[in-house]
Amino acid sequence: MDQAAFVITQNLRKTFVMGRTRVHALAGVDVTILEKSFTVIMGPSGSGKSTLLYLLGGLDRPTSGTIIVNGQDLNTLDENALAVYRRNTVGFVFQQFNLVSSMTALENVAFPLRFGGVAAGLRSKRAKELLEQVGLAKHMRHRPVEMSGGQQQRVAIARALVNNPALILADEPTGNLDTVTGYSIMQQLAELHAGGRTVVVVTHDPRMLRFATNTMYLLDGQCVSREEYEASSRVPEAG
Amino acid sequence: MRFFDLLSLIFYNLGRRKGRVALTAVGVVIGTASVVLLVALASGLQRNATRQFAGIGDLTIINVFPKFEAGPVMEASVNGKIVGGSGQPSTNKILNNQAIEEISALEGVAQVIPRDSLHYPGRLKVGKLENYAYVFAVAVPDTSILGYELAAGSSKLERGTAIIGEAAARNWNDPNWRPGQPQPEAPDILNKQVRFILTRWTQDGTTVEKSVSLRIVGLFKERRGETDYAMVVNMDDLTQWNEWGDGKRINRNKTGYEQLMVKAADTRNVTTLADTITNLGYQASTLQEYVEGINNLYTIIQIVFGGIGAISLLVAAIGIANTMTMAILERTREIGLMKAIGATNRNVMSIFLGEAAGIGLIGGMGGVALAWGLAQVVNVLAAGYLATQAAQMGADSAGQATYIAPWLPVFALVFSTVVGLLSGLYPALRAATMIPVLALKYE
Repeated sequence: MDQAAFVITQNLRKTFVMGRTRVHALAGVDVTILEKSFTVIMGPSGSGKSTLLYLLGGLDRPTSGTIIVNGQDLNTLDENALAVYRRNTVGFVFQQFNLVSSMTALENVAFPLRFGGVAAGLRSKRAKELLEQVGLAKHMRHRPVEMSGGQQQRVAIARALVNNPALILADEPTGNLDTVTGYSIMQQLAELHAGGRTVVVVTHDPRMLRFATNTMYLLDGQCVSREEYEASSRVPEAG
Repeated sequence: MRFFDLLSLIFYNLGRRKGRVALTAVGVVIGTASVVLLVALASGLQRNATRQFAGIGDLTIINVFPKFEAGPVMEASVNGKIVGGSGQPSTNKILNNQAIEEISALEGVAQVIPRDSLHYPGRLKVGKLENYAYVFAVAVPDTSILGYELAAGSSKLERGTAIIGEAAARNWNDPNWRPGQPQPEAPDILNKQVRFILTRWTQDGTTVEKSVSLRIVGLFKERRGETDYAMVVNMDDLTQWNEWGDGKRINRNKTGYEQLMVKAADTRNVTTLADTITNLGYQASTLQEYVEGINNLYTIIQIVFGGIGAISLLVAAIGIANTMTMAILERTREIGLMKAIGATNRNVMSIFLGEAAGIGLIGGMGGVALAWGLAQVVNVLAAGYLATQAAQMGADSAGQATYIAPWLPVFALVFSTVVGLLSGLYPALRAATMIPVLALKYE
């Protein structure tokens, strides 16, 4: 089955200036992510994977290069349009969960709908459906502190889905979880992919690869082949 | 984002930090209470001053006199001709019947009442006692239209009757009284027939007296006004007495009246009407002008007092700005999250501005309540003093030390909310312009 390109980046660069130091987090990345694919981005710390993910999600702007998502050039969007893009097209899942600690699971999931002007009744209904879908029907009234890490991440996944986005971006979603819980989150993301969404996951966890339809390796801000990536992670033999 | 959702989110967020919000709001409470209380105090002073003026006379009355030409005070004879001299009434604008018609025709004039005074000495005589009340007449059958309140008797003036001021009615003297003797007791003259003795002098200096009988029908209530020491008589009687003194008939069309009392239909028109009358070539003065002058003075006092109170509100504003800045630092990741899930810069700005304004509003409500309570305490504490003052001034009742006008709490609430809003402007702007990814990574 032919799949259309959902995300295209061309010569994508991101440079951070810290005092006199310039850090090239992305140094000309060209990637194409197909629609309804499950893309796993791997790479060592500092390789630019999270930076790439945030740029794809419109949370930051590139220094140069273009990002086209679903035919829309993100560089042409002003701040408001970019916020609308994040609201309607993208669902984020973070390593730290980023739930509002004072809100219940239900309120956290429904939170993005407030910014879309959805009525309170509909917000609640939609959030309940999603919490049931991620298996947290009994924890709707629980606050993050009353839930385990895995439960919190599932709440975050439900929140990412609340606006029914086409693109799910997950940044180290299992990074703060134990092995078993992490695996269940992987399965949850795989289910989203199976449901027809484009999923991009940044991870260190090689177990994620078994769910991936595409894999991307980043090294020093550039896309590299699997062989180059593996060679870089090999411990040099003592000479 | 819907307005109601924004509102509920703002109050939800304020509720998350109750302690800090309450502490910050205390500053606003004090600031708002200072503004309200000080302005209420100035308003109270203003109302008391106005009440005292209102007690003196009717605020709807305009006193009209012939216009006096300005001129040198001293007279001198130069080559047999008199030059200089005190101001003389303008001859073409005397207060005759034509003037009465002219002024009566003005819009807003309810009535024009001629007034004249006795040009010759006159004294009441009861037994040995004499009373030198100031005598004037008003050409009106009932003096109540002039706002002269009565302590007793009737306000209706007919020929052969008079109404006397309470103070004048007490002020009798015995020509034969010698130091060391007790002061004579004032006779009860109400509804009594008394003798009124007029005096004039012939050209050769001979004193001529005329005695008339007057019935005192009423007593004017003491109000620190001109009626306190006056006796008001019927205009026809007074004209007759002045004619006796002059030895000739008075032609009002030629000599006019001393004064016209113009009653305006509405207090609000008085100043404008007085200006119109002045423009017609007469001299007009009103008590209202004095009251307006007093009001202007107290308005300035209110602004100064309000400004002093506003200084503490300014300090509170810095507190709000500080609280909001801290809140933004603490909630940086939350701001990043809100942006990640689709909040626009405007949404974020509205939330934080709303929270700052909410602190201002909460503080404002507390401040208004506190000021109201303190105002009641001040009123109670000052009640005794004001009652004494009112009694001395002849006012009907004592005023209150403070007065909270209906607009004041509304103004205070709006003002404190705006102060909160302005204090939150910079922090809210910072929050709104945060780069989402940096906010999310903030530790």
